Amino acid sequence: MLALLIQLFVAAFASFLVVGLVSMYDPGSVGGNDVDVGVAGDETELLRTAAQDDDGVSAEPFDTREAAMEAFERGDVDTVVLTERLDDGRIQANVTAPDGSFRTTMVVVELRDLLQEYETTLRDQRSTHLERTPVPLPDTVDSTPYFGFTYTVLLPLLLFLPVFIGGSVAVDSLAEEIERGTLELLRVSPTSLSAIVDGKLLAAALPVPAQAALWIALLRFNGTEVANVPELLAFVTALATAVAAVGLGVAVVLRDRRLAQFLYSSGLLVLFGATLLLPENPPNVVARFAVGTPGPGTYASLAGAVVLAAVAVAGLRAATRRVDV
Amino acid sequence: MNPSTVLRIARWEVLKGAGALDRRRIVAGVLALVVAGAIGGAVAGGDVTHDAGLYRVGVSPDTPFHGPVSDDPTFVVEEPDRAAFESGDLDLLISGGTIHVRNDRKGRAALAELRTTVLRYNDRTLAGEPNQSAAFPVEVNLVYETRDGETTADVGGGGGDSSSGGDDGGPADGGQSGDTTAPGGTGGDSSGGTGDSSLPNVGGQPLFSSGQSGSPGDIQPPFPFGALVLAFLFVVPMNFVVQAYGASVLRERIDRRGELLLVSPASPGEIVAGKTLPYFAVMIAIAVATAVWVGGGPLSIAAVVPIALVFLASTFVAAMFARSYKELTFLTVTISVGLTAFLFVPAVFTEVTPIALISPLSVVVRDLLGEAVAPGAYLFATLPLYLSAVVLFLLGVGVYREEDMFTQRPVHLKALDAFASRIRSAKGVAAVTAALIPFVFVGELLLIALLYALPLEVTIPLLLVAIAAVEELAKSVHVYAGYVHERFQRSAGAAVAVGAASGLGFFLGEKLTAIARLVQLPELPLGEAAFTTVSGPGDAGLAVLLLFAPLALHVVTAGTTAVGASRGARRYLATYLAAVALHATYNLVVVSLVA
Repeated sequence: MLALLIQLFVAAFASFLVVGLVSMYDPGSVGGNDVDVGVAGDETELLRTAAQDDDGVSAEPFDTREAAMEAFERGDVDTVVLTERLDDGRIQANVTAPDGSFRTTMVVVELRDLLQEYETTLRDQRSTHLERTPVPLPDTVDSTPYFGFTYTVLLPLLLFLPVFIGGSVAVDSLAEEIERGTLELLRVSPTSLSAIVDGKLLAAALPVPAQAALWIALLRFNGTEVANVPELLAFVTALATAVAAVGLGVAVVLRDRRLAQFLYSSGLLVLFGATLLLPENPPNVVARFAVGTPGPGTYASLAGAVVLAAVAVAGLRAATRRVDV
Repeated sequence: MNPSTVLRIARWEVLKGAGALDRRRIVAGVLALVVAGAIGGAVAGGDVTHDAGLYRVGVSPDTPFHGPVSDDPTFVVEEPDRAAFESGDLDLLISGGTIHVRNDRKGRAALAELRTTVLRYNDRTLAGEPNQSAAFPVEVNLVYETRDGETTADVGGGGGDSSSGGDDGGPADGGQSGDTTAPGGTGGDSSGGTGDSSLPNVGGQPLFSSGQSGSPGDIQPPFPFGALVLAFLFVVPMNFVVQAYGASVLRERIDRRGELLLVSPASPGEIVAGKTLPYFAVMIAIAVATAVWVGGGPLSIAAVVPIALVFLASTFVAAMFARSYKELTFLTVTISVGLTAFLFVPAVFTEVTPIALISPLSVVVRDLLGEAVAPGAYLFATLPLYLSAVVLFLLGVGVYREEDMFTQRPVHLKALDAFASRIRSAKGVAAVTAALIPFVFVGELLLIALLYALPLEVTIPLLLVAIAAVEELAKSVHVYAGYVHERFQRSAGAAVAVGAASGLGFFLGEKLTAIARLVQLPELPLGEAAFTTVSGPGDAGLAVLLLFAPLALHVVTAGTTAVGASRGARRYLATYLAAVALHATYNLVVVSLVA
């Protein structure tokens, strides 16, 4: 119960973080009004055409650079682009952007888009001088900038966090009973040590798919489609079982809470880091399932996770039996 | 408090920790470090793709898009099959020079991704062209300038214009922008770039706005997020230190291990201070090392100190309340998440709004960016945390005694015990209420920060109700604890007296919010709603009314909840809701009066 509450809190935190980070990452998505670009100098025609194609900016021509700079000082335009034809035929764009304003990032992002569009146009004009033709640029679309982020960062984070916490709690619950001697009391009862350990494994692993399902439901409620839910839940359950089994195994063998907790957390860090080197690492598996484009490697990873869980449980059984004298 | 006693206990704590570091653990730790380092190096060196294979694109090899699409692992290249596109198996279909996009979020996202991929592909392939002026026809010189006379998000209170650094002992200002010819000469003081090469790049992004030049694709927008990530480096190690600290405190409480210390002449305060000192020292040492590494100044460390204290204080209280390590793990995770949220979320908006200053991390961010921070802003960001830490430690020390340490009770009952241990009389109630003000302050600021994103007409009523809820809780929870522990008589008269004391304590403590004025927070509409204390102009009658009305309000609502508290949990809840409703109505009236 408490675990679910914490999860809920993390959810609120995470969703807020998404908006915050994205607004930093792509400031164009927050600001409603356009970036006003003052344009002056030798080559303004094409730049203004490029600005007309670009939704985020509107260009304002000035006759002289002084006039443009005055407008910048007054705050009439956000930024000034002064174009100048160089001797080798290139165009030099001297850009002045406002400093120390929170619009700065947004202005520069929009400017970059504009200048890239402009560069593409110029390249097309000069393509006869190029050995290979540049690839034409697709049109801009109205797309949420954090579509990829939601699937590749947020969802894996939300799904893996319960896995790690569950394992850590499993280590604590068993090692603590051993340390305090309450395990001895439990073993006086007809239950075997294996049954006790199995119970703890279930208690640690079962809430994880429930939490994952809660997340997915929340994300859907927020308008984020999540595909392949059964596969995702199976993947998370397998990982949770494997992690909890390893944690319990460590606790059973070492019989010392601090040492077990230490080995568990550092070992988990190392193992998880190692899986990142796989061709399809766990976060990527989650992302590909959720976004609806799983490949053969994705299913192979799922199968691998299930096998891993089975091996870990078997290992835990063996370790318990050896201790159980 | 005797310093030598504290130091001796601190030494024991360190030695005990050293004893726990047996050979097995050291070997395991070194092994883990080596493997982690190897993997970390491999991960950093190899390309770990987190967004591989997200979009399926049907593209025939004869279109120019085949190159960029097959080069980018984000795309899965498929056959350009019309039927597959229609059935939804493909997100993009590129055939015969046209791009077909599925009309859903994923299709549009795929097209946006394709656009950036093509841009990068062109820049990459054209780099080898012999005719560079045709391949890269545009050269951009980017210069940042401040506008004269325009105040851009001047958050520093009386600190003056703080947009350009260089005068605050920060890293040497070797920005490139000074060299480039700044266009126009109408008084725009070219800002000395605040960037410096001694700072590590985060994700290949330059940290700060300094002049740049190159082709359009080379422009990197200034990214405060980089500094934010660096600021975060200060907080992350704290979570680990706190784990060890919490375990050590709980260890004393399990199997009566702490009894030996308790029966010694050392006072609980000395014991707690001694046990905490080594961990605090480690945290500060890590903070100093981090500051040296990322290029932060003394200001960064000064801003991190209260964060460390609050981490320790809340973990201490958690370890005093927890019944087992399992419970402690839960509590520390909650604390870590909660504190991290409190620190991180507002700091994201450091460059956007003064509200960000409720988090000391935004002070660190500004220090890293080379911006000045006014003393008022520092106080505003850190004072509530300092006070919170002190109050938490006092609460914890209050139950650092035999009858509480070695008993097993659920966490919420322990919390009530802790409150009750500080309450002996009505005067004590007033003091505890006043002491809870920092938490009220922190809570309300966090609410403002959380509600900041919503539209104003939704936020303000919501905020007023939420603030009423927070304040009423702070005024009544310890009164309830007092009644649970039979500290006061259960007569209505006594209850009203206790409640009035609580209300008075709150009224006096609330004057603390005056520091909110130091950073001009009330100038924001939200801040105005939250902190409408007395405002000078207006007619005198209204001013006097506004001065004493809060006192009356706090006394009345606290009295109500106190009467409820004296009659048991259910009555307490009912009167609490009533008090919140009354308080919220009052807030609404005041806001509409002042507005």
